[in-house]
Amino acid sequence: MIDAELEPTVTPLSAEVPALEVRGLVKHYPGVKALDGVDLVVRQNEVLGLAGENGAGKSTLLKALVGLVRPDAGEIWVRGKKVRLKSVVDAADHGIGMVFQEQSLVPNLTAAENIVLGSEGPGVRRGMYRWKTMRNLAQQQLDKIGSDIDPLARTDTLTFAERQMVEIAKVLRIEQRTQFAPVIILDEPTSVLESKEIETLFTQVRRLREFASVVFVSHRLDEVLDVCDRVTVLRGGESVGEVAAAGAVPGDLHRMMIGSTGSDDHYHGNASQRSGEPLRPMLEVRGLSGKTFRDVDLDVHAGEIVGIVGVHGSGREDVCRALFGAEPTTAGEVSLDGTVLELSGTRAACAAGIGYVPAERKIEGMVGPMSVADNMTLTKQKSRCNGPLIAPKKQATLVDGWIERLSIRTPHRGTAIQRLSGGNQQKVVLARWLVAGDIRLLLLDHPTRGLDIGARSEVYRLMRELANSGVATVLLADSLEEAIGMSDRILVMSDGRATKEVACPAGGKPTPLDLVKEMV
Amino acid sequence: MSTPVLATPAADPAVVSGGPTVGQRLTSFMPLIALVALLAALTIADPDFLTQRSLTAAVRTSAPLVVLAAGATLVVLCGGIDLSIAALCSLSTVFFAMWLPDLGGLTALAVVVAAGAIGAVQGLAHVLLRIPSFIVTLGGLSIFSSVALVISDAGPIRVVDRDATKWLTLYVGGVVPMAFFVAVLVVAAIALVLRLTPVQSWITATGFSESAARLAGTPVDRVKVAAFTVSGACAGLAAVMLVSRNFSGSPTMADNLLLPAVAAIVVGGTAITGGHGSIWRSLVGALVITLLRVGLPIVGVPSAWEQILYGAIIVAAVALTLDRSKVLIIK
Repeated sequence: MIDAELEPTVTPLSAEVPALEVRGLVKHYPGVKALDGVDLVVRQNEVLGLAGENGAGKSTLLKALVGLVRPDAGEIWVRGKKVRLKSVVDAADHGIGMVFQEQSLVPNLTAAENIVLGSEGPGVRRGMYRWKTMRNLAQQQLDKIGSDIDPLARTDTLTFAERQMVEIAKVLRIEQRTQFAPVIILDEPTSVLESKEIETLFTQVRRLREFASVVFVSHRLDEVLDVCDRVTVLRGGESVGEVAAAGAVPGDLHRMMIGSTGSDDHYHGNASQRSGEPLRPMLEVRGLSGKTFRDVDLDVHAGEIVGIVGVHGSGREDVCRALFGAEPTTAGEVSLDGTVLELSGTRAACAAGIGYVPAERKIEGMVGPMSVADNMTLTKQKSRCNGPLIAPKKQATLVDGWIERLSIRTPHRGTAIQRLSGGNQQKVVLARWLVAGDIRLLLLDHPTRGLDIGARSEVYRLMRELANSGVATVLLADSLEEAIGMSDRILVMSDGRATKEVACPAGGKPTPLDLVKEMV
Repeated sequence: MSTPVLATPAADPAVVSGGPTVGQRLTSFMPLIALVALLAALTIADPDFLTQRSLTAAVRTSAPLVVLAAGATLVVLCGGIDLSIAALCSLSTVFFAMWLPDLGGLTALAVVVAAGAIGAVQGLAHVLLRIPSFIVTLGGLSIFSSVALVISDAGPIRVVDRDATKWLTLYVGGVVPMAFFVAVLVVAAIALVLRLTPVQSWITATGFSESAARLAGTPVDRVKVAAFTVSGACAGLAAVMLVSRNFSGSPTMADNLLLPAVAAIVVGGTAITGGHGSIWRSLVGALVITLLRVGLPIVGVPSAWEQILYGAIIVAAVALTLDRSKVLIIK
């Protein structure tokens, strides 16, 4: 284990002023408390891990730390001074920099240009690039992390791992702005790296600790424990605990992340999951290939929920969109209830009885300024029309009926959907596929993203009831626990391929760690 | 299939973000307020302005602008823009003058259909070739202007047979000019179709978020092509109105209507980013613009200043109505 390599002496003195401290940070979004009083201490020359499920508030916290989100309440202290961070530049002035999960390099510039972009300093004189100076500046940065990347290589010719090194080199430029040691935030830096590249990254992180503090965020708990000195766990927008990495095991973190409730009790997993033989096959996918996935086979029976799990970049989202005709495919055959599908577009998919709930609800799932009624009937217009005309009474009966059945909390069916809370918005989006009663296959891409616990469990119950009524469901869950709790079977995807199928029957559920082994 | 039932009441509040703010409410009435304020100002500047005669003249002048703006509003609601309307309108006046001797009473219909077809072609190019509507219609603007110049030999064509357009110069009830009446009818007809059919939902969804509209399986492409078709047909109808007033067709007759039409749309409060607005707003917007047009000479502003005003109005109105939360990057 790499734990052995950790020097026991790195733990800084407690009397030292923390490099970064967060006190009682609060941030509300409509319907969601993203941060609900987070406390966090990053000591000098320490690697602090940040763990938490999706929706625990990690991203919001990180954004607040680099000035992308303004907290509603709470304080941020940098080296004993209270600060207000209004922008990324502001944060950089205080020595805080972040390597984003989605890389932020400009692909058609050289590594050197990217590294000094926005902080050119002596690299620009009289408005002109001084290429030699710039290359030297970039080389200095790359030397800091001991990387042998050619600064004059175009960024889009580098591998993902190399680009990440460039990002780290770039972020270290903030040292120029302050005489103090910087705080570097790494957001999910390993999610698309291979194991050898991960080792290189970890070496870098340990090197960074020599002259900086690091906040390290990852879903992979074993990694977090490997590379960090301490780990702070977030749950539901609160910091729920702190663990010294030495001696801790992933299970410890995990229990703190999910709290007292296990996956089985609040996902209605065992309670109402169908038992007995599956019904007829509803969806059959053979050898489906596209830009980001290859040769995927998938079967979903009527009444079955099949979860697809995989890390960022596994291609599972694209498979889901391809089945809905929203993403082109290059090969493969898909049939629904015995009929081969053309996958020619979303309209054809809708007509065939396929429904899709996108992950980005506010942008792709709903039309914000439109009413609940218009959103609910957007796809199945016939359900509210007589001939070509909208029948107001028919629409009122239909929409009010579903508002009641799904207990959607809205003042009126005519209220703009953007005024509802996230859970109620999502129920309207789900109802869109149900109003015509012709749904056969539901593709759910992170259906509970950004919802609070109460709204989540309502969505879970609805999913279960739909399955019981014979709908086949493909679920891209927000967390492994959700996937395990809800699914009858789980398909593991890695690097665009379906690598493993795991049975997930009531009473015989795999553990998250079983799945993680297959995902990497 | 049995119907799923969820019995547990939700614990979260019904409405989490408030309705429109005072500012938003105010901007939504802004066009009407502007209209009334303009009328008042002009009446103060020239007490003779508030007479039936000058008002009738004003609304008669506004008719082609109302029709042009109404059609183009549909394209804007879908999230696009139609810059070709004025050029297409000019071309249509030439069509009208050239076809009248052969087609007689059917000329108006033929011109509207032809202009609609040209609009449809632009829509198809936008949708099928995936070119931004801004570029397609900018190209259209240039092409239509040129075609109009070529087929007219770069000069006005006199319309001798005035009977074909005489009906547009009549008055409804002796007061309301027929051209304006027709313009309002067009607006009402489009508004009615939007209100009574799913088209309103489709257009709003397309304009607000095209990806949401596609993922909901709405006919995004057909809606857009239809919007361009109606926009083209409206340009044709506006051309008929112009010919009825000027007794000729000319390759540049409507060219100076593009900016006023766009100004009418944005002054009405329709969001240039799509998804929010209405066709009635553009009617009010067109009236505001017309009053400015006829009012400037009254308060002594030379007409050469007109274009400055339109430019300033467009920028100011968009600045007021733009939903910046939706536009992350301003290009």
